[in-house]
Amino acid sequence: MLANIDTILFKDIDEPGLNTREVYERRGGYEMLRKALKMEPGEVLDEMLASGVRGRGGAGFAMGRKMSFIPKGTMDKYLVCNADESEPGTFKDRELMQKNPHLLIEGIIIGAYCIGATRSFIFIRGEYDYVADILDAAVAEARAAGYLGENILGSDHTIDLVVHRGAGAYICGEETALLDSLEGKRGNPRLKPPFPAVQGLYQGPTLINNVESLMNVPVILNMGGAEFAKIGTETSTGTKLVSISGQVKYPGNYEIVLGTKTRDILFDLAGGPLDGRTFKAWFPGGSSSPVMPLTEEVLEMPYDFDSIAKAGSMLGSGAIIVFDDSTSIVDVCYKTAHFYRHESCGKCSPCREGCNWTEKMLVRIKNGDATPMDLDIIESVCSQIMGNCLCVLGDAMAMPVSSMIKHFRPEFEAYIEAKREEAGFGVSIPQVNRGAHAGPGPLLSPAQAA
Amino acid sequence: MAIDPTKIKRYDHGSRVPGWDESADLTKDPAVVPDPATTYVPEPVREAIEVLMGKYPDVRSAAIPAMKIVQREHGWLSPQAMEQAACVLRLTPAYLVAVASFYDMFELKPKGKNDVYVCTNISCSLLGADGVYARMKDEMEGDPDFNVRAFECLGACEIAPMASVNGVYVGPLTEDDCAQIREDLKEGREVLPDKQLAKRKAASKHWKR
Amino acid sequence: MPRPVVKEITFTLDGREVTAPEGMILVDAANQFGDVEIPVFCYEPKLGQPVGACRMCLVEIEGIPKLQTGCSTPVRDGMVVNTQTQRVHEAQRAVVEFLLINHPLDCPVCDKGGECPLQDITYGWGPGTSRFIEPKRHFKKPLELSPLIAIDRERCILCYRCVRYSQEVSEDYQLVLQQRGADSYVSTFDGHPYVAPFSGNIIELCPVGALTSRAYRFRARPWDIEGAGTICAGCPAQCNVELTVRDERVLRVLARDNENVDDGWLCDKGRFAYQAVHSDERITTPLVREGDELVPASWDKAIEVAGAALEKAGAKAAAIAGGTTTNEEAFLLQDLFRGKLGSSHLATRAGGEQPLDVVRALADPKLQATVPDLEFAHTVLLVDCDPIDEVPVWDLRIRKGVRRHGTKVVVASARPTALDPSAAATLRFAPGGAEAFLVALDAALSGDTGNLGGAASAAGSNATAVSEFADALRAAGEEVVIVYGERALRGSAGRAILNIASRLNLASIANAGILELPASPNGRGLREAGFAAGHGPGFASVATPGHGGEEIAAGLASGDLQTVWLHHVDPLRNYPNRPAWEKALAGAQTVIAVESQLTDTVAQFADVVFPAEAYPEKDGTLTHPDGRVQRLRQAVGHPRGAGNTPGSGVRPLWQVISDVARAVGFDEGAALAGSQVSQRLFEAVPFYTGLTLDAIGGRGLRWQDEATFDVPASEPGALDVPSGLPAKSEAELRLGTFRPLWAAKEVDIAPALQFIRAKQVVELSPADADARGIREGDRAEVGNGTRIPATVRIRAAIPAGSVFLAEGIAEHNSNVLTHGIVEVRRVGPGSTEPSSLPIQSQPAVEGLAEMPPSAGLPIPPREVAE
Ligand SMILES: Cc1cc2nc3c(=O)[nH]c(=O)nc-3n(C[C@H](O)[C@H](O)[C@H](O)COP(=O)(O)O)c2cc1C
Ligand code: SF4
Ligand code: FES
Repeated sequence: MLANIDTILFKDIDEPGLNTREVYERRGGYEMLRKALKMEPGEVLDEMLASGVRGRGGAGFAMGRKMSFIPKGTMDKYLVCNADESEPGTFKDRELMQKNPHLLIEGIIIGAYCIGATRSFIFIRGEYDYVADILDAAVAEARAAGYLGENILGSDHTIDLVVHRGAGAYICGEETALLDSLEGKRGNPRLKPPFPAVQGLYQGPTLINNVESLMNVPVILNMGGAEFAKIGTETSTGTKLVSISGQVKYPGNYEIVLGTKTRDILFDLAGGPLDGRTFKAWFPGGSSSPVMPLTEEVLEMPYDFDSIAKAGSMLGSGAIIVFDDSTSIVDVCYKTAHFYRHESCGKCSPCREGCNWTEKMLVRIKNGDATPMDLDIIESVCSQIMGNCLCVLGDAMAMPVSSMIKHFRPEFEAYIEAKREEAGFGVSIPQVNRGAHAGPGPLLSPAQAA
Repeated sequence: MAIDPTKIKRYDHGSRVPGWDESADLTKDPAVVPDPATTYVPEPVREAIEVLMGKYPDVRSAAIPAMKIVQREHGWLSPQAMEQAACVLRLTPAYLVAVASFYDMFELKPKGKNDVYVCTNISCSLLGADGVYARMKDEMEGDPDFNVRAFECLGACEIAPMASVNGVYVGPLTEDDCAQIREDLKEGREVLPDKQLAKRKAASKHWKR
Repeated sequence: MPRPVVKEITFTLDGREVTAPEGMILVDAANQFGDVEIPVFCYEPKLGQPVGACRMCLVEIEGIPKLQTGCSTPVRDGMVVNTQTQRVHEAQRAVVEFLLINHPLDCPVCDKGGECPLQDITYGWGPGTSRFIEPKRHFKKPLELSPLIAIDRERCILCYRCVRYSQEVSEDYQLVLQQRGADSYVSTFDGHPYVAPFSGNIIELCPVGALTSRAYRFRARPWDIEGAGTICAGCPAQCNVELTVRDERVLRVLARDNENVDDGWLCDKGRFAYQAVHSDERITTPLVREGDELVPASWDKAIEVAGAALEKAGAKAAAIAGGTTTNEEAFLLQDLFRGKLGSSHLATRAGGEQPLDVVRALADPKLQATVPDLEFAHTVLLVDCDPIDEVPVWDLRIRKGVRRHGTKVVVASARPTALDPSAAATLRFAPGGAEAFLVALDAALSGDTGNLGGAASAAGSNATAVSEFADALRAAGEEVVIVYGERALRGSAGRAILNIASRLNLASIANAGILELPASPNGRGLREAGFAAGHGPGFASVATPGHGGEEIAAGLASGDLQTVWLHHVDPLRNYPNRPAWEKALAGAQTVIAVESQLTDTVAQFADVVFPAEAYPEKDGTLTHPDGRVQRLRQAVGHPRGAGNTPGSGVRPLWQVISDVARAVGFDEGAALAGSQVSQRLFEAVPFYTGLTLDAIGGRGLRWQDEATFDVPASEPGALDVPSGLPAKSEAELRLGTFRPLWAAKEVDIAPALQFIRAKQVVELSPADADARGIREGDRAEVGNGTRIPATVRIRAAIPAGSVFLAEGIAEHNSNVLTHGIVEVRRVGPGSTEPSSLPIQSQPAVEGLAEMPPSAGLPIPPREVAE
């Protein structure tokens, strides 16, 4: 069976001119906004809660619940659409915004109406300049048509939308770093609590959602929350865009129903491995998800939030990166660590120093200047990063790196020995356990160590 | 010998920010908020930044877009460019430089005219990005027309290995495309029209199976 | 503004019950109430909200799966905290290991060694061994961050303290973190030095040896120094300090946090001017004039000469005090002058005095605001003063209020202040218009439209502006603190302030009131001790009031007065109208000066010079502008005289005054120690009764909290409209003056501060500069008849028609100009850089001018190349 393609968000995605208001409206666009404005905000929220839709940005937190955390009252509230999309392997939001910007705008307006926000922002990564231009044009069209601005569609609601371009920093995808960046600061994550829903942008309650999440809002209103909940599995409702990349035949974005079998995704949609190769392993949900070897068992796994979590990884942003037997795990590991070292904001010490140290050790491994003992240290460093950082960027490096060592240790060890040979260092010294902190104790003299 | 001390580049910190390893210049005055009475800001720049400032509840939000404006105007974020932006935003230039140096897309040293960002992240490197990057550098490095940089994931892994050429995404690239990109840019032509991502259909349509 | 009320709660810490105030941050609660130290690096409550960056303070809290940062967790009732589990220990060891990865571990050659939190925490919580064998990150070893501060970036652990300080406390936004992640480092913009009024505080904040004082580097090690607590007598803020003393020399000044005074910060003047104490130029023996020359003399001789001169002058003797004069010295001096010589010609300020009933009413304890009120008030009104120059730490305190508690600041001044960008409203009056402004404000508040227009225009403003300002003053709430510069107290200004206070009902609102900024550090104490023309100790009436500052000058010049005692004061430098004072001193028969340097005044005019004590050598008390009596405690011995002869050298000034008194046959009662004089002072001033040095202790005591001082409630009275501003022609400008923070003789001689010595700078509005073809950086002459040279600084914030010059500086002091109307002319060729530009056009966006202020504070003008 071919996995589902183009079910909801991707329906007619390639229709020419879909990015214009005219075509979008012809296809029923902005009807859901009209419908929402006739409902009470609470009713919209009820639909969202009933749909069970979970955030598509990475954490998979129930969207309706997050909306319900926003306090009632007349203070300035904000809605921010997270279009930073910098997680390696993820490129779904780009295609959605480029081709169907009005759906996002409609979702944002309805979301803002639901929580009582008067100002909303799309925080789009700076590299997506051309997409931002498309959004800007769409926002201008929407404003001209009275969907945005004061008294939208003759109601007494004011909702404004500004497209804010970032300037190149992965960490700004993290919601609190995004807020700081939007406030014109360095994109450092904030200490939580307070959570953005209580104190976010400019200190006001703020709802932050991913592009894909917000695009589901009009869809849910259209279908009804209960109907939407019928798609997918019980805890992973709806469809999901997966961005498939790496060593597969047909990379690209595909829309699947959550719960689709992994094999169907990797073979039916992505066309399986390149000619003459076999799959080795994958990142199931972006480069921060723990790597899993692509065993038969894994191929049978339904692709949804809970099944992947149970198997020891995560769905994340739905970015599938696959690599095959021609690829060395050490290279993937190094690229991963390098990326996170480069993107760590530097605010908290475990992430800043831990990523830096891990990358340096991997460089040493690549240079043939390491011993298998270094693998123990990497694992130990990763375990000391996990859970101890200010935000989860540190974990995002530690999880894949330690999973690679866990699953492919023999390959790492063989690599180390081979590289040592190549570099002329000879076989590694007998292992000394440097993996655990010894506390103050006798130091080995160089002679002893040798 | 595990580490060869002669290979440790002391002070080679790889900073994008000049002056990181120098003493402050004690003959300079402290860099306070530039006084509008003594800071020249071209009228269009001032106006563009002020329009931005009006878009946000807090003017500081306009800092990043404002720096994009002056970067475009000056080619890079020269001290003078920073002072102009700081003057209009009523911030200190240090505030701006702290922000600018945090983000990859701001250039704190003079740079070549055309930005060529080659993605060397996981998905692209699985399909040969490192080779493309090396070739791109061979083709363009040293030419003041080009600013070649290895970039982290640019969000277009379906066309891996890819590059962003002045914001236009192109891929999948072969090493031989590098020369073509160079040509196209030199001639002021559209870059690799057939490989532009913006023209690509959704994957299920693109791959005619 | 309501201040937080705290409730006690109980939580469990490592198995023990601990009681602490609810909401207190866990690390503080554990430390203060639970006797458990949770290690921290980035946490520093003085810097504001915790940032949770270093992760050193991780602890386990039951019910929360992840370890939590103790620095950001408020304690709640019933919370169960473990700081001693395996998991916590591992996390703490890991953080130390991470922090040491890029730290050079060059402790033996590090200035911080021995007093370094990183060393201590590594010892207490670190892993003991390191597994890191990669190359560390390298930066060049210590570099200049400013003339005062060296930075060693290798040692930096990126705790964010210094940059948070610059951005969130001093708000100068000059010191920032550049780059990202492991590449981050602390820096300034484009190699500019970090020069700001409060830059030195980052040295104390840095928990490693990354930021060190260039003045202190390698001068001592922590084990051969002693700490001596005293107060800085550099300005009326009287910050609490701890002096680092080695071999009887002051080597460093550190803050000694007192939230009622300084909130834990020091300005750079207070922090570095200590070097003046050990200057080679100090006068260390008495000098007596013989012919044209001042020659060293024995104490006996000097006392005899001074005594004889005073005795001869009798009621024609006058005294002026300022600087670091203690309450005790002031008390003894006024006693000598009134009790023996029959003279009440005692002055502490340049201008005349306010009527005694106004003086008393202004000292009413009910009207007296405190320093913490500056932070918590609804509104702080600044009148004719700029805290940054006059009481620097208050500037930080007011900013803190604005930032953390939403306090509104409203500024009425002639010259733009450093707080303008944070102000909710600003009003500019013409230089010298303070009195008229106060009358106008009173009129606006009382709705007296008759007076309003006249007074407002007499102030160089207009009725609408003053009314709007009055509305802004009342808008935020009833707790208003009025801070006014002593210089505003002319004519009916005192009554106007009392009227305003009573219209705002400040006497009956607990956290509201007034604060007077005296011109000299102990101005308030001097007057309370009775050193004033119009009243005795404790504001007691005197039979025959004496002359104030201006009249003393006139009296000396005309021969009506014969002898003047200048106690820690240099009128030629610090008082307006230098020509008049030159005449006065030349006309005086005898000038007795207490001075530490051979200033112009001393060299040209003094007949007897007693060497002055530096504040670290003094014992005694000072009174803070908010009424807090604080102790100066001797930290180092007095310098010996030439040849180290016993008996020569500097002596305590209270003793000198007593000796002189005895020489004129006035026995004030023998005192063997300074503390006995203090005791006599406390007995003589009614509201000091009951004070003892012990009770004052290291933190000071506000007498208003203990004693009463009954003043009849003042009813708002009708005020006359002051006469208008003098006329000026189109070509002329109104001259305003200000005293830069750096205008002090200690700054002139402290080697570390040479770079920032105040030089004359003329501040001009862009319009006036344009009209005169003057550009930024040009040299200009300012004056009317007499002219002084100055470097031009064009500031957009200066109102057209006014021009400002610095006073109190060593060269080209503005006090040689005696006209309030001046001309400004460029001298020499114009500068080459076309830097001066027409002022910006209308903002492109409506309402931009009203946008929330952004960061930044203009720093006082400093040295400009000649
Ligand atoms: C380091 C880091 C990077 C992230 N990057 C993104 C991103 O690029 N796009 C995104 O939508 N969410 C990203 N997230 C997740 C956001 O923090 C946040 O959970 C999400 O925007 C919430 O939206 P959702 O509930 O709709 O998923 C990132 C999180 C972390 C920790
Ligand atoms: S220089 Fe000192 S205070 Fe500043 S971040 Fe580094 S360690 Fe912290
Ligand atoms: S002290 Fe708590 S994180 Fe730094």
